[in-house]
Amino acid sequence: MAFIGRRLLSTLFVLLGVSLVVFLLIQLVPGDPARAVLGMGATQEAVEQIRAELGLDQPLAVQYADYLGGLLQGDLGRSLVLSKDVAEVIGPRFANTILLTVAALVLCIAVGVPLGIIAARHQHSVFDRVAMFICLAGASVPVYWFGLVLIGVFGVTLGWFPTSGMFNTRNPGGLPDLLLHLVLPAVAAALVPLAVIARMSRSAMVDVLNQDYIRTLRASGLQERSLLWRHGLRNALPPIANIIGLQVGYLLGGVIFVEVVFGWPGLGQQLYTSITARDIPVVQAGVLFIALAFVLVNLLADITVNLLDPRTRRRSA
Amino acid sequence: MRDNEPPTPLSGARRKSLGRRLLGATAAALSVVLATTACAVSGGGADGAGDKTLVIGIESEADILDPQAAGGWVTWRINSQMFESLVTEDLTKPSSEATVPELVPGLAESWEISEDGKTYTFNIRQGVKFHDGTDLDAAAVEYNIRRMWDESSPQYSAKAAGQTVFVWQFLEDVKTLDDYTVQFTLSQPFSPLLRLLAQGGGGSTAIMSPASIEKYGEDVADHPVGTGPFKFSERVRGERIALVRNDEYWGTKPKLDGVVFRPLPDASARVAALRSGDVDMIAVPSPDSVESLVNEGFQLSEGTPPHVWYLSFNFEDEYMKIPEVRKAINLAIDREGMAKDLLRGTVNPAYDVQAPANSAYTKRTEAYTRNVEEAKRLLASVGLQDGFETTLATSVDGSGQIMPAEMGEYIQQNLAEIGIKVNLDTSEWISYLGSLAEGAQEGQGMVQMSWGMTTPFWLYIATSSSLKAPNGPNYGYYDNPKLDEVMQKAILATDEETANKYWQQANDIVVEDNALAPIVNDKAPYILAPYVKGFVSPSEEWYDLKSVDIVEE
Repeated sequence: MAFIGRRLLSTLFVLLGVSLVVFLLIQLVPGDPARAVLGMGATQEAVEQIRAELGLDQPLAVQYADYLGGLLQGDLGRSLVLSKDVAEVIGPRFANTILLTVAALVLCIAVGVPLGIIAARHQHSVFDRVAMFICLAGASVPVYWFGLVLIGVFGVTLGWFPTSGMFNTRNPGGLPDLLLHLVLPAVAAALVPLAVIARMSRSAMVDVLNQDYIRTLRASGLQERSLLWRHGLRNALPPIANIIGLQVGYLLGGVIFVEVVFGWPGLGQQLYTSITARDIPVVQAGVLFIALAFVLVNLLADITVNLLDPRTRRRSA
Repeated sequence: MRDNEPPTPLSGARRKSLGRRLLGATAAALSVVLATTACAVSGGGADGAGDKTLVIGIESEADILDPQAAGGWVTWRINSQMFESLVTEDLTKPSSEATVPELVPGLAESWEISEDGKTYTFNIRQGVKFHDGTDLDAAAVEYNIRRMWDESSPQYSAKAAGQTVFVWQFLEDVKTLDDYTVQFTLSQPFSPLLRLLAQGGGGSTAIMSPASIEKYGEDVADHPVGTGPFKFSERVRGERIALVRNDEYWGTKPKLDGVVFRPLPDASARVAALRSGDVDMIAVPSPDSVESLVNEGFQLSEGTPPHVWYLSFNFEDEYMKIPEVRKAINLAIDREGMAKDLLRGTVNPAYDVQAPANSAYTKRTEAYTRNVEEAKRLLASVGLQDGFETTLATSVDGSGQIMPAEMGEYIQQNLAEIGIKVNLDTSEWISYLGSLAEGAQEGQGMVQMSWGMTTPFWLYIATSSSLKAPNGPNYGYYDNPKLDEVMQKAILATDEETANKYWQQANDIVVEDNALAPIVNDKAPYILAPYVKGFVSPSEEWYDLKSVDIVEE
């Protein structure tokens, strides 16, 4: 429990750091939100009036203190462009992103881990080589391009899946409709992390299978299947859990592009729009949410490793 | 490091408890996720989409649905289906029939302008209801004008005022004379006023339901209530804006049951969505996809909206100050080549600083047709036969910018032929808008922008010495007292004919002085599915959907 407490505390500091870095980074980006609101015909006077209304004429330190103060009370601020509370803008978007991320993650784990294990079991076989070559190629493909290929092949040519959005526009159909719309973006988002997870699972498993105790168990006549899944996998799981935790970060990054290509109304797409409009509070909150998700997933991964590995359990006890 | 201890056969019981704990944790995590997504799912469901719902794939997420405060044509194309202004433009005729859209009564049935051009009296259309059931009357109109202009009124919105500043710049007072009569008093005659009232994009003067502004306050943009042919149904940010037909509409009722606007920022994704049937119509197809789409049976609809993609010369630059240099550059640019080869006919070469959709337009082929020999001769005449180096600033993306970086490179090649070495300085759209607002920087010989209006007043905004950057969009610091004088006369004119005569003169001055280099006029191509009928591309940046129908064959 002390371990979890320590980790939660450090998580808090990480988030504080993220909020400061994001705040400062956005200040470095050229372009004035007030100008973005008013467009090209704007007069200087009108821009000044908007700046004052939005509080952008305050010194940076004051702006950050205001922001942090609000944040501590659970107030994410107000969007400069949408005249809405940021929480209202970000909330539903974040839920949509989580849905897409979880779907992609399930794909990554359900396909990537077994693929790696089977490849390790048949090390140097044709299956191993083909699978690992595909994974290497997959890990090098730009998400954006892969998304367009999926749309072209499965959306347009074959017509199996819709090309964009979360629901059928003319006839929204609840959960089955949603799942149908989820397939292509989830596959697009999953490709790279899946490839990495498969490769890492394979190498973790190869390491384990080369251990002395496996040879001993094999010599004592244990069945291959039980050897692999029961005794091998158990010991390969901690590094695999770690790598999955780290890949979630990559997944969240890739989802941003996937959302733009597939018109998925998630946080990434909102960030894209908000960055373009210099809607600072929305960008800050969006990045903070992503950081929070990343940190939490890694915390979860650490706790899992902690549970899986008796040695770390004993140490932290 | 990999000296993992083998599991002892005796740890079976413990293994199970570990397994159970893991399972428990996973189940807990999953249920949290499912709970959050369940909220998301229920949010996306309901919609009043009927049988004839037109789905339009648009090029970017729309701004707010508050027509007075929103910026950009993308958003006005949506808002203009729900909201109307006092005066409007007839968008039922294609560009080929009406190069300048005719000004027609909107929510004002008629109007009188006093002889001195300072008093405008509008007779408000009777029997018109807002979508919330409240009546449109003179008081409602005055309430709206004060929202955009009167800082002391409680409904005043700085954003709305900032967007509409040019419309109301000479307004002195607005009065409700009786239930259906509103009067504007101006401090001086302002001939572009009626046309400006009909504009959208950079803020419009569309009339909103006062009751909705009172009820929703700052959130009114999420509850748009107007008088237009379509009513708001729902908005799921990033996914859709759905409108349904207003059956109580005072004018010609739309044929469609509803319209859905879907933001699809990626051009290839838009084309794919059209091909797969997910959308019925798309804006801004990538230029190289148009031909194959047409061959596949899709319809191409184009117009000549008031759009000019142009360069402003920096009059504080040592080379650009020289009239011969500006003229040489205008003659060296191959507009026809750019329109045909680079942009595949999705634009027309520009032959005037004003767009064709403008009453002051005059086609000037000679001034803007490529003549490399003459350009070289001009440079030699001022001792610059060996050329010089300069910078052209443009963006990499942005509304109405078409393909700015590629077009910049095209100009770069054209000018290299007469010895001018052009460096391109490109930045992202909002950064570019921000730096451009400060005016052309030192070393930037040319800066690029694209927009336009159906009123010749646009030229004033782009070239008046009173609007030199950073005070306004005269980015190249052009300062010509003779031009200012002529434009002032145009503004003060009390009849349209006189105003137009002066605007044409102003136009001549800017062309002769080569203050700007107009390059191309966008045709605003839309691609429609074969079953979409009745769509018209008018000479405007937005369209009327009342006549559109879906006819399955």
